[in-house]
Order: sequence, then structure tokens, then C-alpha cells
Amino acid sequence: MSDSTFEPKIIGFFCNWCTYAGADLAGVSRLQYPSNIRVIRVMCSGTVSPHHVLRAFQKGADGVLIGGCHIGDCHYLRGNYMTVKRMRFLQDLLKFTGFEPGRLHLEWISAAEGPKFAQTVRDFTEKIKKIGPSRLIAAVKAA
Amino acid sequence: MKSQQQGTNPVGAVMVVGAGIAGVQAALDLADAGFYVYVVEAKPAIGGVMAQLDKTFPTNDCSMCILSPKLVECGRHLNIEILAPARVQGIIGEPGNFTVTVNQAARYIDMAKCIACGLCAEKCPKKVPDAFNQGLISRKAAYVLYPQAVPLKYAIDPVNCLYFKKGGKCKACEKFCPTGAVDFSQTDQPRDIQVGAVVLAPGFKPYDPTKYAAYHYASLPNVVTSMEFERILSASGPYQGHLVRPSDHKEPQKIAWLQCVGSRDLNHCDNSHCSAVCCMYAIKEAVIAKEHSKDGLEAAIFFMDMRTMGKDFEKYYWRARDEQGVRFIRTRIHSVDPVPGTDDLSIRYLDEDGTLRAETFDMLVLSVGLEVAPEVLETGRILGIDFNANKFAETSSFAPVAATRPGIFVCGAFQGPKDIPQSVMEASASASAAGDLLAAARFSLAKKKPEFAERDISQETPRIGVFVCHCGINIAGVIDVEAVRDYAGTLPFVEYVENNLFTCSQDTQEIIKERIKEHNLNRIVVASCTPKTHEPLFQETIKEAGLNKYLFELVNIRDQGSWVHMHEPERATRRAKDQVRMGVAKVGLQQPLREFTLPITKAGLVIGGGAAGMEAALGLADQGFKVHLVEKKDFLGGHALKLNHTWRGEQVKPYVDGLVQRVTKHPQIEVHLNSEVTDVQGFVGNFHSTLSTRGREVEVEHGAAIIATGAHSYKPNEYLYKENPRVLLALEMDQAIREKNPLVTTAKCAAFIQCVGSREPERPYCSRVCCTHSVESAIRLKELNPDMDVYVLYRDLRTYGPRENLYKEAREKGVIFIRFHADDRPQVAQTADGGLQVTVKDLILGLPITIRPDVLTLASAIIVKEQEKLAKMFKVPLNNEGFFLEAHMKLRPVDFATEGVFVAGLAHYPKPLDEAIAQAKAAAARAAVVLSQESIKAGGVVASIDPALCSGCQACVGVCPFGAIDYKETEKVCEVNQALCKGCGTCAANCPSECITLLGFSHKQIYTQIDQALAELKMAAEAAG
Amino acid sequence: MDKLRAKVRSLLTEGKVAGYLGYLIKDGHPLPHFFTKENLAEVDQAMVAPDSARYPLDKLLIALAGRYPEAIFAIQVRGCDERGLNELYKWGQLDPEKVVPVGVACTQNQADYCECPGPWASVVDYGEKCLPVAKSRRVERIDTLAEQDAFQEWLAAFKRCIKCYGCRDVCPMCFCKECSLEHEDLMSTGQLPPDTIFQLVRAIHMAGRCIDCGLCEETCPADIPLRVLYKKANALVKDLFDYDVGSPGAGPSPWKVLGEDATLEAKPM
Repeated sequence: MSDSTFEPKIIGFFCNWCTYAGADLAGVSRLQYPSNIRVIRVMCSGTVSPHHVLRAFQKGADGVLIGGCHIGDCHYLRGNYMTVKRMRFLQDLLKFTGFEPGRLHLEWISAAEGPKFAQTVRDFTEKIKKIGPSRLIAAVKAA
Repeated sequence: MKSQQQGTNPVGAVMVVGAGIAGVQAALDLADAGFYVYVVEAKPAIGGVMAQLDKTFPTNDCSMCILSPKLVECGRHLNIEILAPARVQGIIGEPGNFTVTVNQAARYIDMAKCIACGLCAEKCPKKVPDAFNQGLISRKAAYVLYPQAVPLKYAIDPVNCLYFKKGGKCKACEKFCPTGAVDFSQTDQPRDIQVGAVVLAPGFKPYDPTKYAAYHYASLPNVVTSMEFERILSASGPYQGHLVRPSDHKEPQKIAWLQCVGSRDLNHCDNSHCSAVCCMYAIKEAVIAKEHSKDGLEAAIFFMDMRTMGKDFEKYYWRARDEQGVRFIRTRIHSVDPVPGTDDLSIRYLDEDGTLRAETFDMLVLSVGLEVAPEVLETGRILGIDFNANKFAETSSFAPVAATRPGIFVCGAFQGPKDIPQSVMEASASASAAGDLLAAARFSLAKKKPEFAERDISQETPRIGVFVCHCGINIAGVIDVEAVRDYAGTLPFVEYVENNLFTCSQDTQEIIKERIKEHNLNRIVVASCTPKTHEPLFQETIKEAGLNKYLFELVNIRDQGSWVHMHEPERATRRAKDQVRMGVAKVGLQQPLREFTLPITKAGLVIGGGAAGMEAALGLADQGFKVHLVEKKDFLGGHALKLNHTWRGEQVKPYVDGLVQRVTKHPQIEVHLNSEVTDVQGFVGNFHSTLSTRGREVEVEHGAAIIATGAHSYKPNEYLYKENPRVLLALEMDQAIREKNPLVTTAKCAAFIQCVGSREPERPYCSRVCCTHSVESAIRLKELNPDMDVYVLYRDLRTYGPRENLYKEAREKGVIFIRFHADDRPQVAQTADGGLQVTVKDLILGLPITIRPDVLTLASAIIVKEQEKLAKMFKVPLNNEGFFLEAHMKLRPVDFATEGVFVAGLAHYPKPLDEAIAQAKAAAARAAVVLSQESIKAGGVVASIDPALCSGCQACVGVCPFGAIDYKETEKVCEVNQALCKGCGTCAANCPSECITLLGFSHKQIYTQIDQALAELKMAAEAAG
Repeated sequence: MDKLRAKVRSLLTEGKVAGYLGYLIKDGHPLPHFFTKENLAEVDQAMVAPDSARYPLDKLLIALAGRYPEAIFAIQVRGCDERGLNELYKWGQLDPEKVVPVGVACTQNQADYCECPGPWASVVDYGEKCLPVAKSRRVERIDTLAEQDAFQEWLAAFKRCIKCYGCRDVCPMCFCKECSLEHEDLMSTGQLPPDTIFQLVRAIHMAGRCIDCGLCEETCPADIPLRVLYKKANALVKDLFDYDVGSPGAGPSPWKVLGEDATLEAKPM
């Protein structure tokens, strides 16, 4: 599946208070990471619904990265409790149906973790590159 | 600072002299709390030194980026009048009613006519060294101070202007000015201004190192000052942010920083003080320089003591040393020699082993100290205030922002060398002090904010304006901003596009407003930096243009664009286009959002009855607000009760006693002893808290809260503490001195061990107060018995700022300082007779030394315990070490991200009494800004349920972290209480029908962004394939 | 059957319920029927529908309860129907005070066919308890497939979908006034087969809510093994949150509370 010219399309849903700020910090610190990501800022990772993730996959995302505050750091106290519940479930459901659960990743990244942010995007992009283009997209195109 | 008895009502206006970050903060706090403010600035624009800095430590935030919104806010504030350039000429009157004479210098440019097009400067034939850029490049005699200047208006510098020098010739500027703004007939205008109080924040000037003849600063171009280096690093600096050295514009491979130039030095200058900020700025400059350099710049810092005593500073130091490869060499450089035939520089030094070494560098940076400029000293003399021996404004530890003349307050580096957060704290504290004095006159002169009529856009199709920012070269250096702009113009509903050098500058705000009117725009997208810092600014701008402020989207193409894809300009540009497309699509779906007002409970809750808590309580009470002061113990006073003296030598006990008296007698303060906060409900302006007093619960209503719960001293397991009675902690030593304990009075030898529990991997921070405290105690012991041998064993002696004088005094009095290494600590053993034996390796001699102290004092760390409960109740964060984490380390040092909650004192970070008092006053000022308002606004980004679609399943009710959703039995639908809703959207994602909308982040908007994010990429892939 | 009829008769005559929702043979077909005191004689024909003729009685009850919010109704329930009642109470669609279940135990055949882990109601008014089926072989089979093969199998099934919404319309647990499957922002319109994610979105809604009655699969004209998907969704909910769907003692649905602690961790990359 792997293709060296393959440029994955990655959607990032980042919470306003931690991961988005961590992404800003990565910028302020000039930490470089691949430009494949397109960021959608949300107030809390808890506002990302599985519907949003599935729509992204349907529309051609090769990977979806969700970033929230660490458990306990949520600006809304426990909004991210729901995030982890939903995304863990969705990952397992995707696995059952053969939809490549590794394309969905959840990471807690605080406003202070610029380096972690950059590294996560680097690692995730690399991982998706290795997995190759999304099966679902191939299926959609074939249809 | 009790309100003075006034014959007449005080004047509800304040003059702030100096408009750096401290002056700007003081002005904003005062103006927001209902006073009219005159800002008098000597330069033609506000911003001060912070505007010249590249980055700020310890977060590496871009200095201009975080400052700019404050400057703009100051510049556009209804109740702030900026007089610049202007100087104070005289003052008469008394606290509450001064008349200040200000000379407003002629600008020779009519501010009302100037459009800041820059033609005057372009046509001006006279080049002048540009002081803003430290003379590294030149400007013209007609000039603007810096590109983001507020006010953004040109000025003519009469000292250099040919018209003035050559008797009426030239006038090129006048000829070319398209608006006729040049006016050579202007003259200086003296003005008498009535104010109730004066806040002095004129700042510092960097030390001029010319006097260090052996450093050849004046003759060797590659020996630069740290301020010059800031400009060299800056994207808006002389080399556009390319790190090159002045002599040949070559990229340096090796740079050294020489510390303590013009600080801790009585040989070359009279500056006995430590400048407190140079260690950190040198580390920052070294780290940033290394980041700038493509091929591994070598950075070395030559220092005496590494003074990283602020919050998160120690970790910053460690990271620079251990991860970023900055070299630290403990030595003072004697002289600098040019390397013949090159522009390089050679230095010779004794390294820690005592070996003489020589090393060559491409560039040397002199970490110059802070001092008060002579013209500022003159202003101080005019105003009749006193200065201390280091020529900073004289204050007492107990009233750290009160100048020696009543009614005049001081803050920032004018009061003593200090960093930005400390300056900001003092600025807010000055505002609080002035607020005490003038409370009766609040809102007497301040104008009310006009309500901007909002255009009804409900019948309009989207007409979107897109503004793409160059951010100097921050964005334009990587991303093709013209291409992004042109692309934006092709998107649906986009009616207008434009790019700006700095979209955040004040003149661009005016441009945006004009464009909205000209093109009848109803939605605005700005592609620039991060919404975290700049969204409020632009929202305010469109509001003034009659648009609902939510009809706005900020697309981040800098922090998450040009800065992270620096080496991929094409891809960065593609990403920027995609993100702009997503933003345009999102804003197209945005509808105006409503805000509503809620009343404010005009009372404060202060938690903690130590010095900080009491000062905060008095700060609010003296301004006329009811205060509940909650203390866990059965007495007030906290840690301060255990201190003998401040570092200035003032006795602490009378001060604390007086404070307790004032607090307990104050009619506005209700003290709750033996009490704890057990529950907090509500939100800014409307908190309902439960206090438990020995099990009995009371409910209190308050509009704001200040957390000042203090800290504890670390109880060491090391160094025989609690095992041998001769081993004391610092505060126990105070007690022993106070009580004339024979352990101390009969001692022949005493020793202090520093950093016990601080600066360790498990506690990676400096406790800030211990060095000064030990030095002060050592001096007391010497005074008690000049023959006593007193040793201080330390790692870095951190008597920062004017405290350095104490260190000098201690050495003069014969206190012996022995440095030890963190890996080779002193060994403390008990001798057979129950005495102590301390062995430490002398790093200069390289030999172990044995001391037999009769009393050993451990400078143990300041730690916090169990702050989690309070943090959870108030929904505020703690840092890794358990200290409360403020909203922004630099510019919001007493605020939390949670509105209406503030922090002061040791609960925030270890600090000495004077700084804790300043922070407490600052917290009071910030809380007063909330409490002085008539009402607060709610609404905006909140959740909303469509009752027609709700099936009453209540999936939302249980997932709301704030209990803001109720199920209405009769209607069988759920409803959001928008006053309680904080807008997280967890409910919206949980609703199976998606009938909950988080306003501003609706499902439709999210889906649109997803589709748009993927649409173009797909097209690009298809085009390529 | 006599026991069941006697219970219904007494509930009606004593006025304990305003009506009973059960089955009656009409024109040779067993059909859902609403029995009342006024037509008490019909109770003599009240019956338990054979295995092949099951209807979403819970769904009819929601409609009835919506129209007569104060009335109490009796309803015939199998194990799955009763699980449905319990979930519908939690999701605010029925009031337990207003429902009297008349319990049925399924035959072994039915239980085996359904792979049902709870093929009887808590009170059995008709039938004998048979052996439950603890594990679904259908789910196990998919679980053992390679990811790629599982994908191909599901893809083939999903492609057959003609988007008739039969699965949703028959589902007693689909009570939403507004169905997100019809949101055009989420699901593309005007195309067949529908978006590949169509069945997944429904599976998300079924997770922790599906009572495993199997009506969806029976209704599906395209023979999509929906039941396997939802059985798995429920099994995952059990694994992740230890939640038993439809069990009265299971506590609140994990989708309806934040929880006091976050026990789950994000998966490593």
C-alpha cells in the first residue's frame, strides 16, 4: 500500500484551550511538521462527534487527529471524558468493520506541549503515509 | 493607602507617565475601572522597550504579538488620552487633586490628517540613526517609531530635520504629503491637567557599555548590546530577522553572551544592583539565536551567578543547557580582543578549574543592565519623589508602589530592575492604589462606552471581506500572501480582499472599518496569527463598523502556517489557501450571536488570610467593595508572622499587626476564621460559594474571587533536620534570632545551606526568596557577633535586583560564601559531642573544607500542598509543581483563564513579601475592574437546543459539565441555561439528532470545514495525477 | 395462553390499565392489536405471535403514550421488548409508572436464531424459559477475519443498501424526531448506494441502545447483516463501559453521563 509520493489528507480537530494553543506554541517555537494537516478549531474536544469523524473519512480524509486537554486539564472540566469514550468506541467499531481504526487518533496535548504537538503531527503523518491511501476512499471512487 | 480626608471630592482622572507595558497596563486597569486616564509618553508612540524585544521568556512568545493587542486597546480606549511626545514639567496640589503641567512637543504632523502612508519619510532626505533599532540602521527625520506604532502617525524630529537646521529650506515632506498633514508652524504646547493621582512608569534605559573600555564596544561592530541583539533577531529589525553580524552581514557560527555588563559592578559604573532580567534574556537570546541558525550555531553564556529565580525559569535554563546545547561558563570576562585580519573576537578567561583559556567568537553580546535614564530622574525630581542608592524610585516593602510623595505611585523597572510580569503586576497594583485614593470619583469623568448600532444583516446574502496579513515577514517570508489573497477573491460570497503589512495595526483597523462600509461587507475573515491573541481585537473593530462581532473568522496562517512549514513555502501557501477557504465557508454560515447582561454582585471573596490575602481584601474594601476574607486557621497573618525583617530591613511584625487591625476593623470586610471554601457555583459576577466554619455552613454571594492561600516550607529529610537540634529551617532561624535563642547568641560559627529541596529534579524551580533571606540572616548574625564565622553554602547566589546590595554588605562584613555543585553537595555529620560537621568542596581551591557550625540553617524550598480542591472548585489550573497557573505568564500574571478569579502571593509562586503585596494589590485592581461594572455580558458562544427537534432523550443533560441543561417535564424537551453554559459543545456532539447547536461552532459549520478542507486537496491531487 | 389472557383480562376489568398492546389473528395473520375493556371479548383471542411474526410493539407504545400521557398501558414483551422498555425509560421516552409488562419466554428455536442472551421477560406469563445463547457466532466469525477481508465483506453488504430507512423505521429504539441519517450535511443525498458510513452512523446510535430484537435485519430488503453490527456495538459498550443494554440494574447509559473519573485512556498511536 505504501507509496512514496502519497500525500495523505489529514484533518485535525483541536480544542481551543490546550491542543490549539499547543499548536500555536509549536509555531512560536518554530517547530516544523508536515503540512498535510488541515485544522478545525473547536472549543472542546468534547464537541467532536463521531459523525464529524465519519464525514471526514467519507469525504476523503486519510487520517483524523483529535487533540484535547489532558484528563483533568479540560477547560470545561470533563468535556474530554466524553471525547475518549466516543473515540475509543469508534476506533473499535472501525476495527470490526475493517475500516482501519489507526486512521483515527486521539492525543492529549496541553497548551505547554508545543514539542509534543509537532511530534504527534509528524508521527501521525508518517504513520498514515505508511498505511497508504484510505480503503474507504478507494471504495467510494470504485463505486 | 487609606483614602485621604479630602476637603473636596477627588478628581476622577489619573495621569500615567511612561507608556511601556507597565504604563499601558496601569492605564487599561484604571480606565476599565472607571477613571479617565492621561498617558504621557516621551516618544511619539507607546510601547516602550517591550515593543523592541524579539521574544519573551520563558514562553518564547513573540513580544510584539502579545503586546500589540494591548497597545491597540490602549490606543482605542474611550477613557485613555495619549499625549505623545510629551513630558511632565511641573506639579502642584495634593493627593486627590493635582495639577500637572505637561509639555506636549510639536510633532509637525497634524495627527488628524496623517494617514501613515509614509511618503514624508520616503521623500525626507535626512538620514538619522534609528534609535528604535538601536542605531543599527537609519531612519529619516520624518519617521514613525515602528511599524505597529500606536498611534500610527508620523512625526518630524526637529533636531535632525533640515528645515529646522538650515533655516526654512527643504520641506520635501510638506510638498509630497497627500493630505497636507505636515505643519511646520506647530509649537510645543504646555497643558495644565487636573488629575487625582499620578502613576509613574517611565521604565529604564539599557546601560551604555562604552565605559567598559576593554570590551571595545564602541569600536568593534560585532560587539553588540543585548538590546541590539533583540533587534537583530526581530523580524521587523534591521536585518529582517536574519541572524547576521553587523560588520559583514555574515551569519555567525559562534556567539557569546557576557553577563553583568553595567550590573553588579562598581568599577566601570555605579550600578551595584543586579539587573534581575539579564540571565533569562541571555538564555532566551541564545536559544532563539540557535533556532534562527540553519547550521548549528554555538552559543555560550559567560556568567557569575545564574539567576533564574522566576516561575518556570529554572526549567528554561535546564532545557537550554541540557537539550538545546547552550554552554554556560562561570566566569567574568576581563577583556575582548579583535582577531587580526578578521572581524572575529577573542576572549580570554579563567574557567572553573582555574585554567586560562582563549576562545574566538564571531559575535559578542553584552548583557547590559537596567538603569533609570537621567531625563527620567529629572522628571522624578520635578515631581518631588525620592530615589534610592541605585537611583530607582524609593518605595517601602509594605507599599511597593507608593512613591515617597503621597498620591504618586510607581511601577515597572523605574521602581527597580524587573521582568515583564512583575512590571505588569506592579502596574495593576498602582491602579489599585490610585483606585483606593479616588474611589469616590469613579465614573465621574470617564465616558460611557457608546453602544454601536448593529446592522441588521438577516436579509443579506453573505458579503465576505478577507484580509491577509504579511505580519512583516513572519508570514510573507514563507507564504505567498498575494496568492492567498487572490485565491480568497475567487471564493463564493467573497466581495473584497486585501493584504496588509500588519493587519493588527491600528491604522488597519480603520481600513477594515472603511472597507466594511464601502463594500457593504457583512462578514470578515482575517488570515494572520492565532485567534487566541488577536480575535478580540478584530471583533472589536467590526463591532465599531456596525457588525455583530461574531461575524468574524480568524484563519491562523502564521503560528500554524508559516512558522511551522518554514522550509516548504509552496505547501505552506497551499495549506493557507485551504484554511482560508475553510474559514470563508465557515463564516458564511455564521449568524449574529446575541449577548445579554446579568447583574454583578459587588462583593469579593478572598481566600487566605496571610499578608497577600489581607492586602487584597483591603485593596477591594478601600475601593468600596464588600469583602469576605476566608482563613483556615484561627488567626490572620499567615507566613508573614514568622518573618523578622524584609530585605530592606523593615520590621515585619508592626506591619502585619497593623494589617490585621485594619482588616478586622474595616466595615466592608467580613473575616471568616477557621473556615474553608467547600463549594463554588456560578460564574464571573455571580458566584455563590459555600464556606464551612467548623462544620457550620454559610453561603456567600460574590462577583469575583482572589486566591491567596499561601504556601509551606519544605521539611527536609536531609542534612540532619529534626535529628540534630542545631539544624534549623530559615524561618526557625528567624525565630531563634527574635527570641535570642542561646543557640544563636552563643554561636561562634554558623552556616547556611541553600537550595535545600529547590532546583532539584522533583522540584525543578528556584524558591526565589532563600538566597536573600539567608544573606540577610547572615548579616544579622554578624551584627550580633562580628567575630562569629558565618558561611553560606550556595549553588548560585540569587540576590536579584537591589538585593544584590545585601550580598555585597554580607561579604564586606566577612560572611564567607562557598559555592557547591549540585552533584557534590555539602555533607552534614553529627560529631560525637552532638555537634555538627559540614564538609563541602571549595570549587576554587578544589579542596574539601570542613566547617563545625554551632547552628546550621537550611534554606528549604517553598512548596504548595493540596491546591487541587480549590483549583477544581474554581475551574482553574495548576502547574506541574502545584502552583496556580495564571492565564498568561507574561501579560496576565494575576488573572486566571476563568473569568472573575485571580491569584496572589505564594500560591502563585514563591516570592518575597514586597512582591506578594504588589501582586495582591494587582489582584485587587483586576477584581475591581469586574466589580466596578454595572453588569456583565453572557451569551455569545453558547449551546442552543431547537425545541421543535428535541425528542427529550436527555442525552445532553448528563454530559454538561456545568449542569446548564434542564429537562422541561411539561414540554418534554431540554433547554440550555445560557448564563451557565460555557460553550464547550459536549452536548451538541452528544445529541443523536444534532438538534443542539453550539453557536459559532455549529454542526453545519464543522461539516462545511471538513468538506472544504478535503475538497481542494482532492482537486489538487487530481490535477497532479 | 390462558394464564396470559387471564392476566390481561383482570388488568383491564380492574381498570389497572387503559389498554393492552398485544397480538390478535386478523384475516389469518397475527397482527398487533390494542385490547380495551370496551372490547373485552377480544381478549379471548389474544395470543402470542409466532416467531416469524414479530412487530415493534414498544414503538407503538411510545406513540400511544405520547397521545395519552396520563394513561397506563399493558404490553406484551419478549426479553428484547422488555430490554427496550428499560432503555426507553432511561431515554425519557416512556414512564415506567405507566407501563405494565405482560411477559413472554421465547422458544429455543427463536433464541438460537436470534443468538439471544436473554430470551425471556423478567415475569413470564407465557412459555417456558429456554437456554440463552451467550455468544454470537456471527460476530465471532467477523472478529476472526483479517481486517481487509472484514472490510470487503462489510463493503459488499453496505453497497446493497437501497436507503429505504426500513431498519430505522422498524426500530423500537429509534425515537428521534429528527434523524441524523437524513441530515444532508452528514450524509450525501441523491445517490445509491448511500455513503459508506451510513450503516456506521446508525451503528453508533445503536451502541448501548440496541435491544437486539432483530427486526431491522428482518426488514432489510438488501439482507445487510445489521444485527451482527449492532451486536458488536453492544459488545464493545459492554467491554469499554461494562454496560448491559436493557438491564434494569445497569445504571445510567455511558452515553448519557460524563462519569466521575475518566477510566479510559486514549489509545497509543
